[in-house]
Amino acid sequence: MNKKTSAPSGKSITSFLGENSVPIMFIIIVAVCIPISGFSPKFLLNEIITRMGRNVFLILSLLIPIMAGMGLNFGMTLGAMAGEIALIFVSDWQIWGIPGIVLAMILSIPISVLMGIMCGKILNASKGREMITSYIISFFTNGLYQLLVLYMMGSVIPIIHNSIKLPRGYGIRQTVGLLNMRQSLDNLLALKIAGVKIPVMTFIIIAVMCLVIVWFRRTKLGQDMRAVGQDMEVARDAGIDVERTRIISIVISTVLAGFGMIIYLQNMGDMATYSAHSQIGMFCIAALLVGGASVDHASIGNVFLGVVLFHLMFILAPTAGAKITGDTMIGEYFRVFISYGVITVALVMYETKKRKAKAGMGQMLEAAQREEAQSDA
Amino acid sequence: MRKILFRAGTILILLVISGCMLYIGRGHTIYFDNKTLEYEGVKYDTIRRINVNVNGEQVAKLSKKERGLATCMGQKFTFDIEVIREKDGPVENRSFTIDVPYHQDGIVLNLIGMMEGLPQEAWMTEFVPMPVVEEEEEEIVIDEFDVTSDR
Amino acid sequence: MSDLRNADAGWQEQLANAYKSFGLPRLIIAGMLVVLLIAAPLVGANFWMQITNVINRFSWNSVLVLAMVPMVHSGCGLNFGLPLGIISGLLGATISLEMGFTGPMSFAMAIAIATPFAILFGIGYGWLLNKIKGGEMMIATYVGFSSVSFMCMMWLLLPYRKPDMVWGYAGTGLRTTISLEGYYDQILAKFLQIRIGDLVIPTGSLLFFALLAFMMWAFLHTKTGTAMTAVGSNPTFARAAGINVDKMRMLSVVLSTWLAAIGILVYQQGFGFIQLYMAPFNMALPAVSAILIGGASVNKASIANVIIGTILFQGIVTMTPTVMNNAIHMDISEVLRMVVSNGMILYALTRKTEANS
Repeated sequence: MNKKTSAPSGKSITSFLGENSVPIMFIIIVAVCIPISGFSPKFLLNEIITRMGRNVFLILSLLIPIMAGMGLNFGMTLGAMAGEIALIFVSDWQIWGIPGIVLAMILSIPISVLMGIMCGKILNASKGREMITSYIISFFTNGLYQLLVLYMMGSVIPIIHNSIKLPRGYGIRQTVGLLNMRQSLDNLLALKIAGVKIPVMTFIIIAVMCLVIVWFRRTKLGQDMRAVGQDMEVARDAGIDVERTRIISIVISTVLAGFGMIIYLQNMGDMATYSAHSQIGMFCIAALLVGGASVDHASIGNVFLGVVLFHLMFILAPTAGAKITGDTMIGEYFRVFISYGVITVALVMYETKKRKAKAGMGQMLEAAQREEAQSDA
Repeated sequence: MRKILFRAGTILILLVISGCMLYIGRGHTIYFDNKTLEYEGVKYDTIRRINVNVNGEQVAKLSKKERGLATCMGQKFTFDIEVIREKDGPVENRSFTIDVPYHQDGIVLNLIGMMEGLPQEAWMTEFVPMPVVEEEEEEIVIDEFDVTSDR
Repeated sequence: MSDLRNADAGWQEQLANAYKSFGLPRLIIAGMLVVLLIAAPLVGANFWMQITNVINRFSWNSVLVLAMVPMVHSGCGLNFGLPLGIISGLLGATISLEMGFTGPMSFAMAIAIATPFAILFGIGYGWLLNKIKGGEMMIATYVGFSSVSFMCMMWLLLPYRKPDMVWGYAGTGLRTTISLEGYYDQILAKFLQIRIGDLVIPTGSLLFFALLAFMMWAFLHTKTGTAMTAVGSNPTFARAAGINVDKMRMLSVVLSTWLAAIGILVYQQGFGFIQLYMAPFNMALPAVSAILIGGASVNKASIANVIIGTILFQGIVTMTPTVMNNAIHMDISEVLRMVVSNGMILYALTRKTEANS
């Protein structure tokens, strides 16, 4: 991302620092924490590569709604739930390995699309406060998800294996083991360079997804989305179906989040049925923002930088915190605080910028009116 | 019209792919038994030593009355066995390919019966896991703000 | 309320108006509560015990819900940043205990100590919200979360030493839950408590809420109060009338934060424990949805909304587990609570109100 913002020659260093304050702050935190934690570079590199493979796809799913001006899609949790539902079925049907992952992805599509349409429609009814609404939608849908998984699976929806069913006969267990597809995507074509495992296939998929996003920006639909993101009224006047475009952007995001969750969980190797999705949105959004993205602008570069910095902080904080204060919990709370703090700061910056722009517009309008009045006189 | 065709096509392709995945991805656990077998009144005895290889990799070394296991994906399963009837005796190599029934998670193969060339129902049975002792009810904790999990 | 104003309209119209102002979701929730009330004795639950539970839960939560009112009035939207106020309350409670106060005195001191914190935090929070008019709710949510996670570190690091509050083996760091026995457990509830068979009424708590609610009502009818409402309903007009908009909003935020601080103390005296660390996370959404269920919207809220909403919400939350368990041996109350409360917030967010952008 540095490349992109690396200042047209006129820009001063201060404005560069100002615009990239969040990533710079994180680079400093990480630089301080690495020596304190005492982790070896090999360990850190291994962790970072694993976490990159695990998380990047999920974060990519956030880019399209940002493009369409709908802000940070807290509703990506919906896609994550769709992915989990698909994985429950696949593991109940005992489909293993890569076929299991592919099948889960296909199964997640209709669920994601349905939830995406629902989410998009609600967001269309609450324009101007999309973020808080999508945030509440994620909680609301979490309730529906629990209704489905905890009460309907096994009683209404047939579940064959007792190993994933609760002993009472319905509902899914707290964790669903995905041992038979554990890292099967990561291990495909995996390379080991100097003790660092590189999940090549996962990275190929991520690379393809990045290319698709770059291509998508140039399609008619992508252009429409950007127009809607810039100004809904102008876009409407230009003959774009604003509502439909916004719904599509959310649907795409939800479907991608579903795929991302499946990639994430195949890496983890087991699935916390009731909590795996609960914080995924928060962590992905925080990572994207740490990479220097804002509520109305995010690039693929932000995603990668963000994953590296955020997850470095995530790995380092507990150990560094323990070394400094003698309490591991401090570090854990510290990283949670940082995640929330980063989102708060980004939101505040976005809103103040928006207000400033609005105020500037008002002044311009006023000046224009004054001029007009003068010319009339 | 073209749009509808295109969509229908996409859905069809996805359905076909999922069908394939359901077929080739179905996982089974195969258990190998080196155990005595009685079939139509005839008793077949165990063998001193059987080594089971799947794709050139040894998955089980079975002495008398032992059981080994391997996993397989898809509905065809091929494996090789090395039979050693007496100590330092000659190694007898055999290869088998079986059709795995789709709906069985685990199947038990009695190697003795297979080597004798008996019909399938004699040596293939479904593996029924031991009924687990009544377990304690798992408590599901729903925490909307599970923030400390390390992911 | 609105049906009183057009008293000359035909009764059908009045009914239609009442229905409109009441709203379908509220009707459904009220219906659910009625069904639960009827079903409770049928499935073998003790009716009066149920009523007692509902009243009890009302007395614990009502002040927290009341804390929503000032910010809604000044146009700052629903106070998703409630945890910030709750933290002031927690600071008050823990410091009061640390200083060695017991009995009723510990409650009074908790309020006294919490107040300066609430005012301080409220000013900072209000200052921030004044910078970002239009995006209050989302930022409020995250201000709440950030402060809760920040305080998680602080509960461990601050020099609390009282043996019954800190972890036994380490001697430092507050426990996740602290029992209030001997301090202010039930201090309000036991005051003038009425017992009729199984029915127990925590008169003191109810009176305390009534006092705060009355003060709120009275405040909203003072000159400052009406000015605040004016800021919320039409900021441009308010500015033209010479009202300092930012100051009014600030005042409302401080009030909200202070009420939240008092609210959590009242909650604790009913519940009997101080809950620290992650607990405040879960306090904002129930309070938000309660006031919405009571008939408030993103920019309108009254004391009546608070009372009705808290009764309906807490009624459903407390009655469903027992009734469901007795009826179908399936406890879906937690799920139901999530769907109902978040669904209610969603409904309010999608209403076409004069969005304060």
